[in-house]
Amino acid sequence: MNAPDRRAAVSPEQAREEDRALLRRYHGADDTTAREELIERHLPLVRSLARRYSGRGESLEDIEQVGAIGLIKAIDRFDLSRDVSLATYATPNIVGEIKRHFRDKGWAIRVPRALQELNASMSGAIERLTGRLGRSPSIAEIADELKTTPEEVLEAMEVGSAYSTVSLSSGPGGEDELDPLETIGGEDHEFERSEHRAALEPALDRLAPREREILRMRFEEGLPQTQIASRVGLSQMHVSRLIRKSLQVMREELLR
Amino acid sequence: MTQLNERIELEAPLSGDFQAVIRLIIGGIAERVDFAFEEIDDLQLAVERLLAEVGQAGSVALSFEVGEGRIRTRVGPLPERALAALRDGDQRPGVLTLRRILQTVVDSFGVEQVDEGQIVVRLEKLKGMP
Repeated sequence: MNAPDRRAAVSPEQAREEDRALLRRYHGADDTTAREELIERHLPLVRSLARRYSGRGESLEDIEQVGAIGLIKAIDRFDLSRDVSLATYATPNIVGEIKRHFRDKGWAIRVPRALQELNASMSGAIERLTGRLGRSPSIAEIADELKTTPEEVLEAMEVGSAYSTVSLSSGPGGEDELDPLETIGGEDHEFERSEHRAALEPALDRLAPREREILRMRFEEGLPQTQIASRVGLSQMHVSRLIRKSLQVMREELLR
Repeated sequence: MTQLNERIELEAPLSGDFQAVIRLIIGGIAERVDFAFEEIDDLQLAVERLLAEVGQAGSVALSFEVGEGRIRTRVGPLPERALAALRDGDQRPGVLTLRRILQTVVDSFGVEQVDEGQIVVRLEKLKGMP
C-alpha cells in the first residue's frame, strides 16, 4: 500500500501525531528509519507540489527529486517545540527548493519551448536506457527512444548545459541551511587545507554540501555520473549540470 | 592501434557566447563515433575546463582527429600559465586541480607543443573505457 492510501485511513490529527512520534524518534534517538518513514509519508505532498511546476521545461521526475530535498531539509530542521504540523512546515521548504532550482537554471525565458520539452524528456529516456542497457546510452539510442534525430538530442543536451550564474552570487543556498547530503559519504574535512592550493578552500565553501559531495564522488572516487546519480537520487543529466556549475563556481571564486 | 583518419579543425572566439557552440560541435563529432552520452559530456567538460584557463579574450584553435571509437582533440594555443595547472599533481583529498579533472574525464592528455610562451594540449578520449 502506498503512502496516500495509508494516510487516508487515519484522521489528520492521527497523522500529525504519528509524524511527531517519528520526528521524536529521529531527532531524539537519531533513528534514521523514522526519518525514512517520514520522507515516505510525505512524498505525496512533494509530488502534489511538484506538479504545479511541471510543463516549464523540466521533467516532473526531476522536479520531484528537487522537492524531495526540500522535504528532507524540513524534516532535519523541524523544531519539535513548535506547534506546527510537518506538512505545514515542509510545504514552503519544498516549494522554495523547487523555485530555487528553476531560478538557478534560469533558462525558461531564452530557450525554445520544443527544446526545453525535449530536454525534459531526455532525462527520463537516459535513465530508462541506462537501466535497460546497463551502460550510458549513445546519442543515437536516445534519439531512437525519443523518436527524434541525434542532432536534436545534441541541441537539447546543450539546452541542459545552459544555466544562469545567479547561484554564483547567492551562495550555497541559505546561510545556515542543512543539506541532507551532508550525511552521505565523506565529510567536508576531506577537502582539507593545502598550502599550495589554499585558495581553493573559499572556492569550495561557495558550494553547497551536495555539490561538494558530488565533486568528491566524481573526481576522488572516480565514479561515473550514472553511479553518482543513483547514490544521490538525482538524474544523470542533473548530476552533469551540477558538476559543470560547481567547477565554474570554483573557477570564478578563484579569479576573484 | 586504431588509425585516426578524419580531421576537423575549428577556430572559435573565446567569449562565453561561443562556448555553447564549441560544446555542440564536440557533441556532433563524438556522436559520429557513437560515444555514449556520458563520454560526450566528459569530453565537453575537459575542453570547457581547458578553455577556462585561457579567459574570454581572443580565439582558440581546436582540432579533432577521429578514428573508430576514439577522438584526439588538440586545444591551443593556450597561455603557458595553463601548464602549471596541468602539472599540478597534488593528489590529496579535496584538492581539485585541472590535472585531476582531466585525469578523470579523458583517457590521456599531454602538452604537445610549447612555443613562444604558448602550449597546445592534446586530449585522448576512447569509447567504452571505464
